[in-house]
Amino acid sequence: MRVVIAEDQVLLREGLGRLFADGGHEVAASRGDARNLVATVAGHRPDLVVVDIRMPPTFTDEGARAAYEIKRSHPHVGVLVLSQHIETSHAIELVTLGGFGYLLKDRVLAVDEFLDAAERVARGGSALDPQVVGRLLGNGRHAGALAELSDREREVLELMAEGLTNAGIAERLVVSERTVETHVRNVLTKLDIPDSHNGHRRVLAVLAHLRATQIQ
Amino acid sequence: MTYRARFGAAVVWAITVAAAIGSIVLLAMSWDRALTDDLFSGFGGVSFAAMSVAFASTGAIITARVVDNAVGRLFLLIGLLLGVGLLLYQYAAYGLARPGGVPAMATAAWLVNPVSQPSAALIGLSLMLFPDGRLASPRWRWAAVLCSVAAVLVSVPSLLEPGSIPAPFASLSNPLDIDGIRNVMIVAGMFGWVLAVVGMGLGATSLALRLRRSHDEVRQQLKLVLAVGAVVTAVTTLDMLTWLPWPHGGLSVRIGIVGLLLTAFAVAVGVAVTRYRLYDVDVAIERSAVYGVLTFLLAAAYAVTAVALGAAVGSDSRWVAAGATLVVAVAFRPLRAALQDLVDRRFSRARYEAIQRVSEFLERLRAGQSAPEEIEPLLRELLSDPDLELRFFLPESQVYVDTAGKQARDDRGDARERTPVLRAGAPVAMVLHRPTGPERPDPLVTLVEAGGLAIEIARLRVELRRQLAEVRASRARIVAAGNAERRRIERDLHDGAQQRLVSIGLRLRHAQHQLGSGQPAHADETLDEAVTELTVAIDELRELAHGLPPAQLDAGLDPALRELAVRAPLPVQVQTTPERFSVGLEAAAYFVACEGLTNAIKYSGATAVVVSAQRSNGHLIVRVSDDGVGGAVDRLGGGLRGLHDRVAAYGGSLHVESAPYSGTILTAELPCGS
Repeated sequence: MRVVIAEDQVLLREGLGRLFADGGHEVAASRGDARNLVATVAGHRPDLVVVDIRMPPTFTDEGARAAYEIKRSHPHVGVLVLSQHIETSHAIELVTLGGFGYLLKDRVLAVDEFLDAAERVARGGSALDPQVVGRLLGNGRHAGALAELSDREREVLELMAEGLTNAGIAERLVVSERTVETHVRNVLTKLDIPDSHNGHRRVLAVLAHLRATQIQ
Repeated sequence: MTYRARFGAAVVWAITVAAAIGSIVLLAMSWDRALTDDLFSGFGGVSFAAMSVAFASTGAIITARVVDNAVGRLFLLIGLLLGVGLLLYQYAAYGLARPGGVPAMATAAWLVNPVSQPSAALIGLSLMLFPDGRLASPRWRWAAVLCSVAAVLVSVPSLLEPGSIPAPFASLSNPLDIDGIRNVMIVAGMFGWVLAVVGMGLGATSLALRLRRSHDEVRQQLKLVLAVGAVVTAVTTLDMLTWLPWPHGGLSVRIGIVGLLLTAFAVAVGVAVTRYRLYDVDVAIERSAVYGVLTFLLAAAYAVTAVALGAAVGSDSRWVAAGATLVVAVAFRPLRAALQDLVDRRFSRARYEAIQRVSEFLERLRAGQSAPEEIEPLLRELLSDPDLELRFFLPESQVYVDTAGKQARDDRGDARERTPVLRAGAPVAMVLHRPTGPERPDPLVTLVEAGGLAIEIARLRVELRRQLAEVRASRARIVAAGNAERRRIERDLHDGAQQRLVSIGLRLRHAQHQLGSGQPAHADETLDEAVTELTVAIDELRELAHGLPPAQLDAGLDPALRELAVRAPLPVQVQTTPERFSVGLEAAAYFVACEGLTNAIKYSGATAVVVSAQRSNGHLIVRVSDDGVGGAVDRLGGGLRGLHDRVAAYGGSLHVESAPYSGTILTAELPCGS
């Protein structure tokens, strides 16, 4: 996997580079800001762009805006946005684009899960930070259909929302893929979400449902 | 021109006065003369001499003060004609009374009426020109012409009329002696008199018409002349009517009364045109009306009571007098009050109504139906001054504010007059208004006094609102400052320490990888880097904690301030109390000390600082004084504002004394209970 990194803090940029290198990936380019990021992407044709949301000059949402531009000009390049803290609405809007990830920066320390998410995004899947998912699920305060889920089913739902495939969920929960499939079917039935074999569409459906129930 | 006009006036006035004195001298020399129908003997002669001087003097004063006014010139002329006519009269009368007569006696007698009588027509003309010396409108030219014709017709026929000269000179004849025109001349002369009376009536009409469309000072001028003129006309008419049943005897007294009345009229016109204490006349008229009617009513009451008692208890005059006096004494006060009220309504209706409106407003205010601030629009309306503005004085900050509580700015071009409003000798407010006329008592002052209570209440409300607004603003600033501080810490944590820790984590992961892939030497290096970065992270966290209340405050203000002193780069003497206060109060005191000390270190060039925190009269007094350059008041600015809010949040106050070259003393007084 070829990766472009845009991160203003030198130490972190180097750390990220080493992380990908250690994981057997190629860092095609590193940038200290979001300017000309689209050109860089056009030049290097990476599989994934990792971009910090806050970068010079204003340190507000340069990264997010660069991410939109990249997705518009290069829809098949995965974009993984890293943030210091969580903004739910922003995150979900980006994720609906597909081939998109939104993770807290500290997730990089869980190297395997982080690289897993990065690869998923590069392949066109999605990666939503567990904190965002947690907020959507409202810390168990949801009424209605969500309350009818068992604890296990709830865990499965969270991982689905994070963007994991059945295989990924099975690996994470240390159960068989068949068991996961059963749970997934139960969850979708209980929540009345149409099943879809396309991973990304399933994520979107789950998110749409969660957002709808949250608004209530 | 001015000089010539004044010089001319002085000459005419001097001639008139000389003629009047001459006439008095001649009158005195023939005081006991006994001529038939001698109008100007005794009192009549004196009174008319006074009248001629009054007209001439009024004319002279008007000409001297208000040069371009035809009324002045006319009055001079009237005075001159009257004075000279009177001199001629007295000369002829003196000659008649003296055996052997005097030279040119008949000529003098003949000229008396032709010279003096036009003055009657000229008085009518002067009324038309009053008060500004111009006719009310071009149409009035005809009335002026009529007066002029009257002046000629009352003069020329009496000059030409053959035969005996009118009383008391019937024994003398017209020296011209033109035969056959006597009847024509009599008719012409009578026609002239009719015209003169019509002219006077037109003059009075002109005054009345002008009154209707006048205001302010001109109105006051017209009111005065009309009032005096009305009295003069009424009494003169009554006086003249006595000639009908009683054509002879006491004539000089009767004509003398007319002379005195016209003297008063001349003075009134002079007062009106020169505007000398014009408005005092109002009060004088009012008073005389009240007391005149009062006297009449009491006399009537006395008479009625006396007659009634006389009929009832017999004619014992002592009892009758005592009873009537008692009635009068009892009736005096209520009658006077009732009359005053009545006269107030009649004479100064506007003022009376204005005061009534203000007291009605105060009634509504007491009943809670009106807001005290409505006094401002009310005053605007009552004084017909839309630019009138009330500004309230706030003793604490020594500034004037408008009704909205905004500090009032003084414009250079603001021509409005300022009248202070005092309550119990202390300034409460200021009224900005159009300059008032010389009317006394000043209607503005009267109304402001009447509405003083409302102004005082409005002031208190404004003061309260301002304080509330200040409290709100300060609270908002405290909250905003708190939020800004939180955002700063949050940002510093996210962008600083947090990222730093993530990158340390990444290094450790890398080291892990290096160890796992058989590169222990490289791993050692990576771990070293991680530790270095950890040191930086610790420093950053310490920086972040700056600005938060220090941990030493947990042990009390005293150790916290001593710690502050130790860290300072210059000698700081600390005088504190070991007493403990509430956490917030101690933090506020600590930040005052911090800010004061920081300023002393950064800007003042001080060599020593004293920080003290002592309890005094239920206050915790925190003081930072240095021996630096002073002049810090402007420099402190923003930091001081934040500090001020922090102190104000605890109901305290903050002062800075910092005269140039005499050090700076920052003092905070925080109420801490007893």
